[in-house]
Amino acid sequence: MTILVRPRARASWSPHAVEIAGLSVRYPGPGSVLALEGLDLAVAAGSFHAILGPSGCGKSTLLKVLGGLVRATAGEWRIAGGRRPAYVPQGNSCFPWLTAEANVAYGLWVQGRPRRERRAVARALLASLGLQEFAESYPHQLSEGMRQRVAIARAFAVNAPLLIMDEPLSALDFQTKIQVQGELLRLWSDRQATVLYVTHDIDEALTLADRVSVLSGRPGRLLGTIEVPFPRPRSYRDVRNQPGYPDAFRQLFELLEERSA
Amino acid sequence: MQAQAVRTVAAGVLLPASLLVLWQVAAERGWIDALFFPRPTDIVARTWEHVRDGRIVTDSEITLKRLLLGFVLGAAPGIVLGLAAGTTRFIRALLYPLASALYVVPRIALLPLALVTFSIGDPARVFMVAFGVFFITFFGSLSAAEQVERNHVDTARAFGASYHQVMRSVIVPGASPSIFTSLRVAMGVALIVIISVEFLASNSGLGSFIWRRYQIFDFPSMYSGIVAVTVLGVAINALLLMLERSLLPWRR
Repeated sequence: MTILVRPRARASWSPHAVEIAGLSVRYPGPGSVLALEGLDLAVAAGSFHAILGPSGCGKSTLLKVLGGLVRATAGEWRIAGGRRPAYVPQGNSCFPWLTAEANVAYGLWVQGRPRRERRAVARALLASLGLQEFAESYPHQLSEGMRQRVAIARAFAVNAPLLIMDEPLSALDFQTKIQVQGELLRLWSDRQATVLYVTHDIDEALTLADRVSVLSGRPGRLLGTIEVPFPRPRSYRDVRNQPGYPDAFRQLFELLEERSA
Repeated sequence: MQAQAVRTVAAGVLLPASLLVLWQVAAERGWIDALFFPRPTDIVARTWEHVRDGRIVTDSEITLKRLLLGFVLGAAPGIVLGLAAGTTRFIRALLYPLASALYVVPRIALLPLALVTFSIGDPARVFMVAFGVFFITFFGSLSAAEQVERNHVDTARAFGASYHQVMRSVIVPGASPSIFTSLRVAMGVALIVIISVEFLASNSGLGSFIWRRYQIFDFPSMYSGIVAVTVLGVAINALLLMLERSLLPWRR
């Protein structure tokens, strides 16, 4: 396990899935807030990369910049291939007026794909998550865990090479979270996509990710990135039984503590 | 479950039924002046007479036609412009000040202007209804569009949805429950406006029916007109509720 050197802006971009150099975001207005300052980050193609940091450190802002929802004040960023990432926002993002199937197919509808294709893709994804019986259910008829599965399936449905996820499991109870983590890893592994995953939970980061980057408190700056060497396939329990687990946990904990230093 | 439904309906009927019984007793015992407050049984009998001779049905149809035409002509642009103003800063800046100023003008104060503009006839009455409905649906839709969850708009935009796709797939469905509420409020106002206008500037319709019976002190017939207006209002409100339930199945 190594603490990696912070990647710097470079003249020619390398084949990473995402490269960010010197990214700053200031929200304008009377209570102007500097959310991110000079952030450098590289996300390897095909990897599961977690971003860890305290509340308000700009983790969500980072994803919103990548998702085209917030404009960067300074710096550069690039997504390999230039394709729009698939986004799983924080909280309950399922459209209450659409059925589970229509929610999953939403991105395909935006792309103007035919109804038959949308239906087939959505049905297959719902089936892979054990939700085939709930295809015609509305979000209020589903449990919180089911709704988050639908939001994750919606992101995978568009087959984007990059998925950006903003604490998608933070509202779930422990058992459901473990279960959905497993399903998320299975989908990620099947699709060979790159995932940039924001969380404030060290355990979750170590269970899911190949690399974990830690941001400082506001304004968010990169404090460091560690590689997670645990073998795959992983589960919550497997990861905790790894000999390197206490050391990895301690490193991340110390990096998080550094923010207040 | 069924017993509970029966209890709920019974509770809803109890108060009006008690008031009617009290009214009947008060009129029969002379506690109230039966000239101005005739017995409910007399009102029912007179209403039935007017239904049989067709007058009240004809006037109801005339009022209903004016009401619905004015309602649609006011609500359609009200909703479209309200949603546009709720999602586009420029359109909001363009429309909001004028709409706010006109909204506070008492509807009936515009009747002389409407009569001058359209001359005495249905267009003036329909305009009065449309004017009243427009502002309620405009402000209702504007506020509904502004209150659509940011998370849903962001999700749509992150998937690359265009302005029109966001409007169609997020703003319109997200704002619909509040728009339906404003439509029901607007319908109540529309009914008040059309009856008031028919009081003052019409020889037909339920407002005119009520007003002319009042002028000749035919109070049982006047109450028949009020009953017809009430039935009309309740029926339209029920229809709007049914429409809302069928168009917004996710709200059930």
